Formats: sequence, structure tokens, C-alpha cells
Amino acid sequence: MPADLRAAVPDAPAAPPGGAEPILEVQHLSKVFGGLTAVNDVSFRLAPGEILGLIGPNGAGKTTLFNVISGYYAPTRGRVLFQGQDVSGRPPYALARRGIGRTFQVVKPFAGLTVLENVVIASFLRHPRRAQAEAQAWRVLETTGLADRAHLPAASLTLAGRKRLEIGKALALEPSFLLLDEVVAGLNPTETDRTMELILGLRADGISILIVEHIMRVIMGISDRLVVLNFGQKIAEGAPRDVARNPSVVQAYLGKEQE
Amino acid sequence: MAPVSKDRRLLGAAVVCAALFCVPLVLHDTFFLRVLTEALMWIGLALSFDVLAGYTGYLNFGHSAFFGIGAYTTALLMMKAHWPFPLALLAGAVAAAAGALLIGLPTLRLRGAYFAIATWALARAIQQFALVSSFTGGPDGMRLTAYLNPQYFYFVMLAVTGGTFFGLWFLLERAPFGLKLKAVREDQESAKALGLNPTWLKLQAMVLAALPTALLGGVFAYWVTFIDPSSTLGDLVSDQALVMVVFGGMGTLIGPVLGAVLMFAFKTLFWAYLSAYEVLYIIILGAVIALSVVFLPDGALGFVLRRRRTRRQAPGADPAPAGPGLAPSEKEA
Repeated sequence: MPADLRAAVPDAPAAPPGGAEPILEVQHLSKVFGGLTAVNDVSFRLAPGEILGLIGPNGAGKTTLFNVISGYYAPTRGRVLFQGQDVSGRPPYALARRGIGRTFQVVKPFAGLTVLENVVIASFLRHPRRAQAEAQAWRVLETTGLADRAHLPAASLTLAGRKRLEIGKALALEPSFLLLDEVVAGLNPTETDRTMELILGLRADGISILIVEHIMRVIMGISDRLVVLNFGQKIAEGAPRDVARNPSVVQAYLGKEQE
Repeated sequence: MAPVSKDRRLLGAAVVCAALFCVPLVLHDTFFLRVLTEALMWIGLALSFDVLAGYTGYLNFGHSAFFGIGAYTTALLMMKAHWPFPLALLAGAVAAAAGALLIGLPTLRLRGAYFAIATWALARAIQQFALVSSFTGGPDGMRLTAYLNPQYFYFVMLAVTGGTFFGLWFLLERAPFGLKLKAVREDQESAKALGLNPTWLKLQAMVLAALPTALLGGVFAYWVTFIDPSSTLGDLVSDQALVMVVFGGMGTLIGPVLGAVLMFAFKTLFWAYLSAYEVLYIIILGAVIALSVVFLPDGALGFVLRRRRTRRQAPGADPAPAGPGLAPSEKEA
């Protein structure tokens, strides 16, 4: 499916495609918890309209990196530039206003509220008036395939539904950049395909995406480029097919290759 | 959006208010009017308590501080500075709002029991301050110039409580503010990712709770003509409001009204017939809280209970979700 979408990927791994100003630039980022360096001197760039996959074994620092970029943690060292401006250490709600949307690996619906209300709350960011916010929330629910469950409590959704709601809430912010943290994990193959289509559709709408995912079929299929983390450090970056052949990646992430 | 069911309920509330307005015109029994005036006061206190407790998820055991600040500010300005009552009353509300900002800034970062303890302690500190200060009259309290017009106070109390109800209905049920508060209540970290600043929202909620509470305190002071630290700043104001809200149903506007009416009726009957057993009243209050939490989960806060309630889709969890195509019978109590 995504072969044509990957056609524009350049061979030089460090620079984002087209030479355009990156929407996100992470510079020498480190995050230390006590004696543990969860993210260690990581740098990469994300071009507008790009889908960048972030992979690595469990505990590699992917979610920590997400939390730093989305403002939940302040970086210990290094900077995060969003649309050319230093946003390191800005609180999450300020970043949401600037156009950064995120999902949580452990989904966090507002359980006591309805599906529609969950999305409306996010819509208020761009549509302060309730009628407009609701109209926009309905559009998001159509996009994410949740419209028929709009009036059910969010707690009643299945895992697949909750993951879609998580994406829906982030989309209702009308972000220019989206951080997706394992939105496919735990879904069956049909649900997985639908979510992949959804993500590719978002990119077609001009949203840049940084995605963490463990399922290789998904991450290899939709990413323009990959960044590989291991023990908090970037060990590889490049087109999915190149990264998959990279010996250090194979060793660290996919297991040691037989000669 | 304006779902039909909500508008119909609002119409019901307006009819009740209009009926209450007519009561003194047909009923001239002073004692009964007094009882109704106090009932209105408690409805207002329960409603304002629910702003933090039900909509934001914070049990404010310092609610009495706002009531007392309103009462004392009104009394002091009227007796020492000879301000007219309406101005003194408004000044009390402003003072309580300022107090809410001061109390809220440090305490609203705390969660759950820590917030309850911190607000309780701050309210006790304010009570002690009133007790040891000379300008408040210390333990002797303050006496206000009596204005013996039960009808006047009935109408003023009705105006404040009615205004509180419709004001809160607009802000919490109709405007985006209420949903934003609920988002913070449900999951603060997730709310942040959606562009909401939880601390700022909670601070606004605390000020919103403080304003009507202080107005009620000011009216109370002028009405009963005598206030002291325990009657206006004491625990019992917060505790009774809490029982009414928990018993009636948190996170709704009808719940606190219902709880206040029932608990106040009980309180009035208790003091009329069983006033010799004063201690028993507190014990019963405690028992009502405990039993409400266990057996009336629709009226109780708490993550676990709310989740269970939502899963069962029980009524009262959250009044009618908004939007087109809703069958009103589906979620209505």
C-alpha cells in the first residue's frame, strides 16, 4: 500500500525530505531520572507532512522522548524546536495550543463522560463556542468511525474504540503535528488496517506524524523514515528498508542475525 | 446544542422559583418563612459546594471559610464603616473570591485527601484568627443592627440561591466551562494534552464556589443579626453542605438541591423534637455520609464508584449528553 507514499523519501538519512524547514527538530536531547538516563543525546528532524516512525526495544526511551516533546517532562539537556521555536519545557496545554497533539500509550478517556463529550472538550481549543465545537467533534467522530457510539459513556468502548477515541481527541485539537504512541498495539488485523488507513489519511491532510509502534508490519508500512532508539540512544535513522538491514538495528532490536 | 430535556428541566426550576417567590404573598407565618429562608440558604451552600466536589472532583472542607469571610466582611463593613447592606454584601463576595485565589493557589495542586486536609486546616486557621482578633469581637462574636423583616430576607435569600442555581446552570451545564472541569476531574494529565490548564480551571472553579457562598454568609449575618466564629466559620457549615451534596448526588445541580431539602427537613425536625440529644445529630450526619457512599453510589464521588456507575449506565451519573439524535429517555433519571 504505502510504496507510492514512500517514493519521495531521500537517501540521505539525516536531512528530512525536500530540504524544507522541519516542523519538529530535536537537538541533543537528554532526559535523566535520578541515575537513569532514559534519553541520551538524541537528535532528529521531522519534515512537514512526514511520518517518522520511532522504534526500539522496550525501555529504549520512546515514551520518555514523547513526554519530553509533548511537554510532560522538561528535558535535562538539549532542545525541542517546534516550527522553528524553542518549546523545551513548555507545559503540555501550551504546546497543544501551538498545534501539537498526542495520544497516550495507556489510553486515557474521560471515562465518566460520553464519547462525544470527550471529543468536544478537545474541540473547545479551536472552537470556543459550544455549537461549533460540537459540529467539529461530530466531524472527528465520523473520521474516526465513532459517530454511532457518540452518546455512549467512553468507559463502555472496547480497546479498539478507546484507541480511536484517543486519536479523535488529538485530532479535534486540529494539530499540525501528531504524536501517536502505540495506537495499533492490541488491535486485531482488520482494526489495524483501518487505523493505518486513518493515519495515512491524516498525513494526506497535511499533518506531520511521529509514531511509536511495535508491530513491524505497521511501522514499516506507513513510515517515511525510521529513528531507532536503544538504551536511550539513537542507533540508526533512515528509510525503513535500510534500517531493517542495518546490522546494529538487527542486533539490538530484531535479534542477532544468523550468518 | 441545547438539548430539549435540559431546557425542560430549566423551565421546571424557573416554575419552582416563581412559586417560591409567591410564598410570602400568601403565607404570613413568620416561623415557617424563617424555616424556608434557611432552607434556601442551605440549597445555595450545597450548590456552591458541588462546584468543586462534583464537577471538579475536589472535596473542599474549607467551604465554611468562604461563608464566614462573607459574613464577617458584611458585618464589619456595616457596623464599623456604616456601609449600606448591598455594598457590604458585595464586598464580602469580593473578599471571599480573593481568599479563594489565595487558598486555591497552593492547595489545588494537591490531590484527594491532601486537598481536603489542607483546606480543612486553612479554614480552622481562619476560624482561630477570628476567635483571637479583637476587631471581630473574638469569641463573643458580632452583633448587627437588627432589621426585623422576615419577608425581605426571604426574598434576598431566594434571589441569591436562585441566581446561584441559574448562574451555575449556565456556566456548568451549558457553557464549555463545566465540561472542561469534568475533564480535569476525570483525568488531569489527559486534560493537559487537550490544551486545558488544570490549575487555572480549578482556581476559577474555587472562585466560582466562593462567590455565592460569601453572599449567603453576608445575608445570613444581617438576617440572624449575630455571628460568631463557630456559627459562620465552623466545621458544621462545610460538613452539612458535604452531606447534602453526597446524599443528593454530586456533579449535578438537581442533586444538591434535593439533598439540601431532605437533609434540612431532617435537621429542622431533629432540632424541634430531639434537641436534647445534640451529639446524636453529628453521629447521624456521619452515618448518612457513610451509607450514601456505600449504598447510593450515584450520589458519591470517587474514581472507582464513578467508573462502576458509568459501566452500569445508571441514571444521574451525568445529565443527558448533548447533541443531535439523542433519545431523551436513554440517560434521563
